[in-house]
Amino acid sequence: MGVAGRGSAREDYRPDRALIGMVPGGARVDTGRWWTVALAEAVQGDKALAVACEGERLALFRNDAGEVFALEDRCPHRRVPLSPGVVKAGGLQCPYHGWTFDGASGRCTDIPNLRRDERVPARYGAIAYPAAESHGFIHVWRGSGAPATRLPGAGYRAVGREYTGSAVANIEFGQYLDVMLDGPESLLAFAGVQITDFFLGDPRRDGAHLVLDRGAVWRGRGIAPAFVRDHPLLLRTRVPLDGGDIRVELMSAEETPLATVLIAASENRRGTTSLCWRGFLHADCVAHASWRWRIARAAGRPPFEVFSRIDGAAIASLEVAPSRERRAATSRPRSDCAGGQQEPNAA
Amino acid sequence: MNDRFPLDAGGRGTVASSKRDWVPGNLDLRDTWFPVAYSADVGDRPLRRIIHAQDVYLWRDGARAYAAEFRPDRLEALRHAASAFTGGAGVYPVLERYGYIWAWYGNPDHAHEELVPNIPFLPREGRAIPRYTQRAVRFDAASPLSVENLIDLTHADFLHANSIGDGQCESDVVEVHSTSETVTRIRNVTQKSVAPVMRWIGGVRAKYQDLRAVLHVHLRNNVCVSYPRFTPGYAIPNVQPFVPVGRHRSRVDQTNYSVHAPAPFRWLIPRISYVIQPQDNSVLRPQNARYFEPTARRDLSSRFDGPGNRYRLLMTRLAERQRQGDYSYGTDADPGADISAVLGMLD
Repeated sequence: MGVAGRGSAREDYRPDRALIGMVPGGARVDTGRWWTVALAEAVQGDKALAVACEGERLALFRNDAGEVFALEDRCPHRRVPLSPGVVKAGGLQCPYHGWTFDGASGRCTDIPNLRRDERVPARYGAIAYPAAESHGFIHVWRGSGAPATRLPGAGYRAVGREYTGSAVANIEFGQYLDVMLDGPESLLAFAGVQITDFFLGDPRRDGAHLVLDRGAVWRGRGIAPAFVRDHPLLLRTRVPLDGGDIRVELMSAEETPLATVLIAASENRRGTTSLCWRGFLHADCVAHASWRWRIARAAGRPPFEVFSRIDGAAIASLEVAPSRERRAATSRPRSDCAGGQQEPNAA
Repeated sequence: MNDRFPLDAGGRGTVASSKRDWVPGNLDLRDTWFPVAYSADVGDRPLRRIIHAQDVYLWRDGARAYAAEFRPDRLEALRHAASAFTGGAGVYPVLERYGYIWAWYGNPDHAHEELVPNIPFLPREGRAIPRYTQRAVRFDAASPLSVENLIDLTHADFLHANSIGDGQCESDVVEVHSTSETVTRIRNVTQKSVAPVMRWIGGVRAKYQDLRAVLHVHLRNNVCVSYPRFTPGYAIPNVQPFVPVGRHRSRVDQTNYSVHAPAPFRWLIPRISYVIQPQDNSVLRPQNARYFEPTARRDLSSRFDGPGNRYRLLMTRLAERQRQGDYSYGTDADPGADISAVLGMLD
């Protein structure tokens, strides 16, 4: 399995490892997709990281060479979670009885106390998912079919200091994507910036994403946002029609990017959404910024915040508007929204 | 009268996705005595205990103990709602032995004193049992899953590695015997390292010792009678009755009868459950939930799971027999028979 090295600029996925045993008994139908499930730096050492994706629990870990792997977080022996286990040379070792599973194939490589002449049956294994790393994120291929070569978040190029995080938000995954179109101010904030409810036009289709701009103003400067003749800032949200990679950009009126945030969302359990994000400030942001923004940046404060606790009253009061386009697009056959994926050019 | 008894005997709720699938929480075996409380815990004030989600209120009137479906002050008013478990009387058959109050779970017409499991190392009258030997613990799993954990030996090296010796020995041989109502696991270990706690507090200064550990499990009521004998050293006989509170929880009023061990070890050893229980619970809790998830994938096993798999098979058979309406004890079953020889107490 080809895995881009940490910090590598590789944006695509080139398998060079056999994917046998990946989905036991699964039909080879191309219905899979990549999900971004973790920050690269969150998976390290001899411990695994428990994550959730499409409502299912996975265990991520690395081998000595730094390659990343994803297994179902369930030992096929007695069904306990594998993620509290320890990484060994043969893979991830279950904390209950020590059965060990190879990260690439899922094959059980060791059952403790077997005699030297005993072998682990070849069919013994956990479900392994292809995993890859790019631009500081870990991606997992879910579904059958050969993994697509293009990884989520391609085109994201951080410059300078990055601001990162992860959380589980108290909102259902589909609603998270909808609210990102209807009222992103309920999901994130840029320091010193007021995001307005005035979106510019309707969402436009860009490959497998819907893109929508909305006006924004510097806080504490001038008249109320409703009476601003031209918004000095834009917030551009790029919401996926398939998968969970969301890109948010704060821009000047001239469409010069000031800050970029890549938020990876995926369905967690009980109607929650897993989030992990990376973002950065563009080099020329200071020239357009308010004094509040400049002071906060000089003090080293993060330029944005991604919320994990969503205000229920705020999202309940949002009118369903641009998200209608997303619902309409995703209710159509998937082939209609999967092709021709294009990412914005690197910043 | 509550009609639950005749309608869903032998298993409740979610059925296994296949006949071979093991759903421990669904096993609801009848016609057996459960040690629901320490005798010393029951006084004038009613105490609430639960067997298979069925309320059992315990109290004394003078010296005599009562067990009922309702609190004593409501018993008369609610007697009309009494279930078949009490024959419509609201009061369960009850008796006291080995320091426990035993309540009958099943058809009250079948309650016979000789069906109380024999515990040969405990005083029958129970009054002489010191309270320091009695410790109550709870598990976040159905009783059969907790019992399986007790039968299983290979998890100790991983889950309890830091609390129960280092697992090194000259030989370690496990035998399993069974009847239609019991499983007996005998473990013979030679020249094992003496656990630090036994060496430094238990006064066994030798470096190595032999262990013969017999575990005798009653299937219907999950009463586990254990006789581990260390040479050099002493026996630490114990009873662990896993009372099924419901499909997801069990309660164990343990008696670690360490009275023959030297002080202060004899006071310390019953408290070892405070260390062991959280370790076991860390796997049992997620494990229990996963056994309710429908799956076509059967658990994988190694030869070390022989005793546990025998237990699964016998429990499934017994449940199936009860589902057919047969609650009788087989000719090979006699819970009240003296098991001193079975436990190796006479060797």
